Amino acid sequence: MVPVKYNIRSLVVRKTTTAAAGLGLALVVFVFASVMMLGNGIRKTMGRAASPNVAVILRKGSDAELSSGISNESLNLVKAAAGQVSASGKGEVVGEVVVVILLDKIGTDGMSNVTVRGVPDGALGFRSTAKVIAGRAPKPGAADEVMVGNGIRGRFKGLEIGESFELKKNRSVKVVGVFSDDGSSNESEVWGDLNAVQSAFGRDGYVSSARVKLDSPGKIDALKAQIESDRQLGLIVMRESVFFEKQSEMTATFMTALGVLIAVFFSLGAMIGAMITMHAQVASRQREIGTLRALGFSKLSILTSFLLESLFLALVGGAIGAGASLAMSFVKITLLNASSWSEIVFTFDPTPAIIVRSMILAGVMGVIGGFLPALRAARVSPVEAMRA
Amino acid sequence: MSDSDVKEPEATTEDGDAKGDARDNESPAPKGDAPGEGAKADAAKADAAKDSAKSDAPPKSGPYRPTPGKPLIEMSNVTKTFHKGKEPLTVLDGLTLTIAEGAFEALMGPSGSGKSTLLNLIAGLDRPTSGTARVAGHNLEKMSDGELAKFRAQNIGFIFQAYNLLPVLTAVENVELPLLLTKVPSGERRKRAETALRVVGLSDRMGHYPRQLSGGQEQRVAIARAIVNDPTILVCDEPTGDLDRKSADDILALLTKLNQDFKKTILMVTHDPSAAERATTTRHLNKGRLD
Repeated sequence: MVPVKYNIRSLVVRKTTTAAAGLGLALVVFVFASVMMLGNGIRKTMGRAASPNVAVILRKGSDAELSSGISNESLNLVKAAAGQVSASGKGEVVGEVVVVILLDKIGTDGMSNVTVRGVPDGALGFRSTAKVIAGRAPKPGAADEVMVGNGIRGRFKGLEIGESFELKKNRSVKVVGVFSDDGSSNESEVWGDLNAVQSAFGRDGYVSSARVKLDSPGKIDALKAQIESDRQLGLIVMRESVFFEKQSEMTATFMTALGVLIAVFFSLGAMIGAMITMHAQVASRQREIGTLRALGFSKLSILTSFLLESLFLALVGGAIGAGASLAMSFVKITLLNASSWSEIVFTFDPTPAIIVRSMILAGVMGVIGGFLPALRAARVSPVEAMRA
Repeated sequence: MSDSDVKEPEATTEDGDAKGDARDNESPAPKGDAPGEGAKADAAKADAAKDSAKSDAPPKSGPYRPTPGKPLIEMSNVTKTFHKGKEPLTVLDGLTLTIAEGAFEALMGPSGSGKSTLLNLIAGLDRPTSGTARVAGHNLEKMSDGELAKFRAQNIGFIFQAYNLLPVLTAVENVELPLLLTKVPSGERRKRAETALRVVGLSDRMGHYPRQLSGGQEQRVAIARAIVNDPTILVCDEPTGDLDRKSADDILALLTKLNQDFKKTILMVTHDPSAAERATTTRHLNKGRLD
């Protein structure tokens, strides 16, 4: 076995070409890891608010709250059904109305959609992870008070505590508090009084969705069977986790596909870069390789040696790229969510699996890029050592 | 080269003794003081050695077991033809040659006469087109690339005109290289490499990189690398070709010492008549034939 220090030092000696190839590989791994982290961030942000024993009920044919509508009568029937299913005789049910408004962005010209959720009293109690982190919650029944999610605070005009904005023309509301919800997509919403939002947007007598909290996750199936069997109701029941999955599916899949696509094209370039570097290494070391062969090192050990060299180069580049991508976890990105047409703040969410996958990508690039040069090295005749 | 280093009695005796041990089929475990000793002994399977001694058939691969009175290198009617384009070029033409163990032979001749090709064939770097090449008990013309590599590792020490040290390895790391092909443990490898460097008078240059050494010193490192595995034959291709007179004389003195004190069989290609004078026999090659 040719000593590995021979390969490592040979790379170090040829600093410039090694650095160029290493940085090419680092860039690919950086892009790959970052996009994977973003895809993961989207899934987590959307799914984070999901509670296992909560069911979301929408109008049949809708897969988002924005396009759904449930009348108060239907909501009462849902409450009755929840009571029957629940062991205690009464399931906890909230009906909420969801609308989208346009607000001016801070820092850039233009406007963007913000989701406004009209919630009944006790909405904070229903969602155990949601809590007020600044200011206070709106007073029960106060039509002119709202609280904003931590994610969009400071991103739109009028969304700071004490500021006001218009929910609808001549319907000004004041921000009295900021809430957090474990980094979920709820943090990109404005929450106000249910009745106020209903009347401002002409939704009196209707809610967008109903959420039912049951004693255990197992009871959701019973609730689903009971509600969906009533065709006149025309409602569908799904677990909250499934609901959020559907909300994030399109965006997350798009980001992941984009990431893979970019990584594939970039990695082709980086592999060619690594190949050129390794070919140059082999070409300039013909006599050294010939000498090793003359001393008795086998073709296989030369092949392995140069493959390891390429692998080492790729792993160092990969580690730099993956390390740099970790810095992206401090970056927040605003994306338009395809299902709610409003902006949601996402973070790059690194996991050990993403880092491992990135390093595997680097390793694969190193081995594929280094294979032909290594094969060429293994074919160097020991007679090369004799050439003066 | 410092003569005092080369003549250092302890190093010389150790190496000489060790060599004797390693080559003695009856000897038990190697003592492990001198370069190459363990490698020889490691590979020496007692049965194979006995078989080798009884019959003429050598082991398929493995170190050479000297049999006094037998020639070490026997080239018989060897032809080597290269193909450059469509034209065949015969470099060695029915050459027959025998070299006894312990010889120090110089091979001279004009450029293109086939000296290096002959050296390559003897060293197992290449195979003859026809004829037989029997070296240290092995029929090289029948061996595969892998078998030849093993043969070289165990039997041949190379000394090149351009030294051919790996520039990114230190002197001692370069000398250690051939031992990586043996089962010698790493601590022992380093000890043997250091002993070999002491033998060539470079005990104070062990951690130096080739670029930090003079041409003469580089060549001595190369010689240390050639002897560290205790090979049977030293193959030298213009070993003084790139050196000034003084350094060349030092190298030739060292080769003479390796031949006389360490009983190495040396085959040296050279253009330099004064280098050839050091050899016990000088052969002249012309157009692929011996004069």
